[in-house]
Parts: sequence; C-alpha cells; structure tokens
Amino acid sequence: MGVIEGGWEFVWAAYGVTAAVLAGYAFSIHLRYRAERRRRERERSAT
Amino acid sequence: MERNGEMRAYVLGAIGVALLVWGSWWGLFWAPRESFMGDVQRIMYVHVPVAWNAMLALTFAFACALASLLRGGWKWDSRLEAAMEVGVALAVLLCILGSIWAKPTWGVWWDWDPRLTTTAIMVSAFAGILALRHFVDDPVKRATWSAVAAIVAFVDVPIVYFSVRWWNSLHQLQSSPETVSRAFHWPLRINAFGILFLMAGMIDLRARVAALRLEGELAPPLPESGREGVR
Amino acid sequence: MQLVAAVHKDLLLQWRGRAQAIAIFVFGATSLLLFSFAIGPNAEALRQHAAGFIWLALLLSSTLTLAESFQSEMEEHALEGLLLLPADARALYYGKALANWAQLTLLGVALVPLTVVLYDAPLPRAGGLLGIIMLGAAGLSGPGTLYAAMTSQTRAQQTLLPLLLFPLVVPVLLASVKATSLLILGDPMGQLRSWTILLVCFDAIHWSVCGLLFDRVVED
Repeated sequence: MGVIEGGWEFVWAAYGVTAAVLAGYAFSIHLRYRAERRRRERERSAT
Repeated sequence: MERNGEMRAYVLGAIGVALLVWGSWWGLFWAPRESFMGDVQRIMYVHVPVAWNAMLALTFAFACALASLLRGGWKWDSRLEAAMEVGVALAVLLCILGSIWAKPTWGVWWDWDPRLTTTAIMVSAFAGILALRHFVDDPVKRATWSAVAAIVAFVDVPIVYFSVRWWNSLHQLQSSPETVSRAFHWPLRINAFGILFLMAGMIDLRARVAALRLEGELAPPLPESGREGVR
Repeated sequence: MQLVAAVHKDLLLQWRGRAQAIAIFVFGATSLLLFSFAIGPNAEALRQHAAGFIWLALLLSSTLTLAESFQSEMEEHALEGLLLLPADARALYYGKALANWAQLTLLGVALVPLTVVLYDAPLPRAGGLLGIIMLGAAGLSGPGTLYAAMTSQTRAQQTLLPLLLFPLVVPVLLASVKATSLLILGDPMGQLRSWTILLVCFDAIHWSVCGLLFDRVVED
C-alpha cells in the first residue's frame, strides 16, 4: 500500500458525522426528558 | 427525580463534550501525520473511541439484563432500555465511521471487516429488541422478555464474530487500524474518556426518561374529576 | 417422561396441521425459483450460489413454521392450561423445539431435489448434506422456538419474529451455506470440519441457554 495523500474531506466527514450524531442524539434525550417531566407535572396537578 | 439527580447526567455530558473537543483538536491539528495513512489516519481518533464505548454500552446492557432477570426491580429495566438505545446509537455511528474510513483506505465503502460486520449485526439484533419493547404493553412481560432477548443476543456476539472472521478470511487478508504508535496515544485516550463521560450522561438521562414513563404506566388510574376537558 | 410426552404432543399437532406444512414447502420451493431470477439463467453462477439459495429459502420458511408452532397454544389459552399442569416448562420448550427441528429438517430435505434440478447442483456427498441440514435446522429451531413463544404473545408476531431471529442466526446461515457449498462444489482445503464444529457449538450453546430462559418467557 502506498502513502495516502490528502483525504481531508473524509476526516472532516468523520468528525462532522460524529459531532452531529452525538449532539443530535443527546439533544433528543434531553427533549424526551423534558416532555416526560412536563407530563408528570401535568398529571400531578390534575389530581 | 430530585433536581440534583438529573444534574449529574448533564455534568457528565458536559465533561465528556469538553474532553472530546480537546482530544479532537489535538488529533486534528497537533498530532503528527502517520507515515502510511497520511491524514486519513486522524479518523482513528473518533473511530476507535466510539468502538470501545459502543461495546461497553452493550456490555453494560447485558449486565443490566442479568440484573433485571435475577434480581428484579424496575430500575434495571430502565437502565437496560437506556443502555441498549445508547449502544445502538453508538454502534450505528461506528458503522458509518467504518465506512468513511474504508473508502479512502480500501477503495470500497464496506470491506466486510469482521469487527464492523459483527457491529452491524449487533445493531440489527438490539434494534430488534428495542422494537420488541415497543410492541409489548405489559411492563412486566416487557422487562422479562427484553432481558431474555438481550442475554441471548449478547451471548451470540462472540459466535457471530468468529463465524464472520472465518467466512471473511477466505477472501481477503486485511489489517484493521489496531496498532497505534505512542505519538498518537493521547488524543485517542482523551477522546475515549470524552465519549465515555458523554455516554454515561446519556445513559443516565435516558434511564430517567424510561423510569418516568414506567411511573406513568404503573400509576393507579386517576380518580374522576370534573376536568375532562383538560388533557 | 415429560419430554417424550411433549414431543409426542407437538409431532401430533404437526401431523394434524400437515396441510400447513405442505403450504410452507410450496413457499420454500417458490422462493428457490424466484432467487434464480436474481442471477439469471447462467448455469455456472446458479451452481455457485445454490448453497446460499437453499438456506435462504429454508430461513424464510422457518419463520412460517416457527410462528405457526405456537398457534394452537395461543388459541383457547392452551398455554396457560399447559403451564398449570405439573409439567416442567423446559420439557415444553424442548418438545416444541425438537418437533420444529424435525419439520425444518424435512423441509430442507424436500428442497434438495429442487435445488439439484433448478441450479444443476451435483450431490456427491448426500449423507454429509443431510447432516448439515440437520445441524442448521437445529440452529434455527433452538432460538426460533424461544422467540416464537415470546412473539406469539404480542400483536406484531409476523414482524417481530424474523426481526429478532435473523441477526441471531447469522452464524448458522454462514456456516450452513459454506458447508453446503463445500459439499456440493468440493472441499480442496478440508474446511468442512471447522464449519461443522461451529454449527455444533452454536446449537449446543443456544439449545442450553434458550432452554434455561424459556420458563421466564411463558410465565404469567
């Protein structure tokens, strides 16, 4: 195998996808948590 | 769920992100170029940490499944759900990164590397168990069955790995990015801990989501009140 | 002995439902025909892939066999009735799994002549092929019976059973296809033994683990 020249677009793609997936997924957990908390507050105040 | 309870998850996540930013900066701009792979090798600084942590998450899921079956208790079921979902997310990311690595290195988007292929199969297996959870309404059955399925799936992993490795070895010899020389250790380690902390935070928060949902399912029905219009 | 009684019950159920079994065979046969369209009428290529096709057909048909195997238990709540008897859940599992294994082996054997005809596959070692079919069928019916029991109690069995089973039985597919291919096309490097050992290990591990876990899956 020879030396690979360049290839920076793959490096950026890798880091970009990683950041996007981790950030997006973490944010979705955060949103779901908020929704569940709100639902619980609503049910508690309804009694 | 007290206020400080959930803060732990966010703090863990914040530490993780900080470490990841540091490690990635180091890996992208300070670490030297590798002799054969050139700059493409920098993908390793995210690929390997994600791989380690994906396996860790699914191993933790296996432990939660055992605890859920043997000791019972709803918190293990919530953790199982969280660990499986986070594990699947990381494993999917791992497959994408594996593709991005394979193209400039091997010229194809997928080279049937045994570890990556096993990961893809694990994604299907555990995504299937998450789907199973979706279709079971009884919380007790859901907890028991997903624990059973998780145990069977995890026990299968080494068999899958070996079978794919034998199957593939007949076709091509390949080396995977395994040996990393000393100069490249630090960004790798920092990113590995970064993802570890972030993952711990995500599992923690996701388990709370599962626990809250369960609480809603198991709670006795509310008494009739005059507020039917409010929902 | 409970196990003998369980096997007897399940084989009897299968015999009574043999119309279904014949229909599943037709499904498998049709699949074999359809697969050949993916390759085209190229005799050499078809022969190369014959092993893969027969196992894919068997895999797809197994979801029908396995799903159907718990149908009678689901009707009239027969499952609860069986569990109320002083019978070990494990005997129930192994009885069902053995009956399913028998049916899948029969199906595999029935598909072989079609494979020979459609794909011009030679059969130099028919005895070995029977052995591989039996080992592969065991690999499908072991975990398959566990998951069939589970998913028959949900409302989405048709989707969930293959979804859960297929990733799990990848080693069975790989090993059976490779072993069958070696038996049909020749084995110059003597690899058959390693694949057979893989199948045996898979079967041993899964038949024990799934048997152990079965009572948790059918308890109330």
